[in-house]
Amino acid sequence: MNTALFYKEWIKVRWYFLLSVIATLGLSGYTMLRINRVVNHKGVEHVWEVMLQRDAIFIDLLQYMPLIVGLLMAIVQFVPEVQRKCLKLTLHLPQKEIRSVIMMMLVGLLLLLIEFASTFIFMDIYLDSILASELKWHILLTALPWYLAGIAAYFLIAWICFEPVWKMRVFNLVIALLILRVFFLSDAPEAYNKFLPYMGLYTLVIICFSWLSVLRFKSGKQD
Amino acid sequence: MKRFSQLLLSVTILFLLLWQLPWCYNFFASSSDRTPFTIYSTLVGDFVQTLPNQNGKGVVRHDLSGKVYTESEFDSILPMFYVRQLVVDERFPDTICGVSVNPRLAQMENFTFRSTPSEINSVKIGLYPLMESLSGRVDLKMPNDVFRITSEGLEFIDIQSNLINQSKSILFTEALKRKGFLFPAIEIAGNPTVRKDYDEGYLLLDSKKQLFHLKRMRGRPFVRQIELPQDLVLKHLFITEFKNRRTLAFMTDVKNQFYVLKAKSYEVEPTGISSFNPETDDLMIFGDLFNWTVKIAHLNMETFYALKASDYSLVKCYKREVYSHYMPGIHFSSFLDNDIFPRIN
Repeated sequence: MNTALFYKEWIKVRWYFLLSVIATLGLSGYTMLRINRVVNHKGVEHVWEVMLQRDAIFIDLLQYMPLIVGLLMAIVQFVPEVQRKCLKLTLHLPQKEIRSVIMMMLVGLLLLLIEFASTFIFMDIYLDSILASELKWHILLTALPWYLAGIAAYFLIAWICFEPVWKMRVFNLVIALLILRVFFLSDAPEAYNKFLPYMGLYTLVIICFSWLSVLRFKSGKQD
Repeated sequence: MKRFSQLLLSVTILFLLLWQLPWCYNFFASSSDRTPFTIYSTLVGDFVQTLPNQNGKGVVRHDLSGKVYTESEFDSILPMFYVRQLVVDERFPDTICGVSVNPRLAQMENFTFRSTPSEINSVKIGLYPLMESLSGRVDLKMPNDVFRITSEGLEFIDIQSNLINQSKSILFTEALKRKGFLFPAIEIAGNPTVRKDYDEGYLLLDSKKQLFHLKRMRGRPFVRQIELPQDLVLKHLFITEFKNRRTLAFMTDVKNQFYVLKAKSYEVEPTGISSFNPETDDLMIFGDLFNWTVKIAHLNMETFYALKASDYSLVKCYKREVYSHYMPGIHFSSFLDNDIFPRIN
């Protein structure tokens, strides 16, 4: 059953997934090329100096990319599900409803994790070749909350999509925007270091918000 | 699962309200009074201030006794601060308090020093360039390597190859160890910029809180252990590198006492500042040949100290309460650091 569910979700998002992987790797590659251009023109010393003295991290372009990827992943996966009333069918599968819902979302989460991890590994490999480990981690730890925001956006948009009543959707949207704002409160490098473990944990547990929307859908709430 | 989800959503909404409502109120309705610019005048023997006029037009200049000064008079009572204006007006004095002065001397002796808690508490990368202090050239140049301090010793990393320069690392590590340095360092203070007149390298506190001075001179390590008075346990160090080369560093100890480390003699001098905690207090020093005006801002209190430039003894102290009205709530950022995490204030 789980394999079938996984396959159903994969069918829905595969083209978007491939497109977003190309886009994220492309944008990350472009960002690395920009660093490489500085290295070629001014020498790698300039990159180190600017990072040490001016706190530059060179990857600001990627800041909202994971957020957009996560948000679109949820829209692509769940808007057709809700519009075509397929959710009702999914909930009638011969297994616990919560299991079906969580399985659907875990598929999206898994794909996002694969996509974000590949971007991280790609950046790690390039940065490792030109920067000391302290500088490399300075960049990657600064970017980590952006990627958590991508996962949080996925769960929160899923929560909004499953919600059957428009008024509540607007309310959920306001809450979602405020939660996502927390991930972008500071541009200072490594500003989130202390908060990262808690943010990571919170990002994972908000998967359960969607269950509230599904329960409302099940109880017959509608516009 | 339903209960947990409802509880989590409720806690989230409550949390967001406690964050956003005070933020909205503070954004639209909070207020704080204007901080007057305050500096000690050697000629008046008192602190003098400039403050925007009540009607919003112009500036009022006065001393603490209430005597009001015109703009021109204000320049005259602060000759070391308004050097350039007095030179342009051809009013710069030949002597001040019996000491003959000239604009060049004034500019050599003047300095400004600032420390903020956010600088102290922010994340440090842990890589430091060690410039050549005795290159024989006027302009300083950034080196082509940086060092890190581990529990084993110093590691110089060549920037071009991104590899550790073993021979240089051993040379500097051994030099430090010979002088009694115990790795790792718990405090590293330097000013790694080429925008200064000279380089004094780094001051280091080793794992036993012993103080060391490390420089690179003609490619060789210069290491000196600095004798500290008994019972002095240092915590924060600030290399000064002022034009007059009188001081090497400012330092604070675990009891938040402020000390000056003299250049050349390496003498540690206590000051008349009663308390300064770099992790929570803002510090601003305007120094000149005669006096230093030290402003320490802590929460809603600003304390101004006038110190004698010769022995750092207290001349005068003035405290000022800063009025500010903010609605308490949950905040993610603070003036004290660059960290983002929820805190109630």
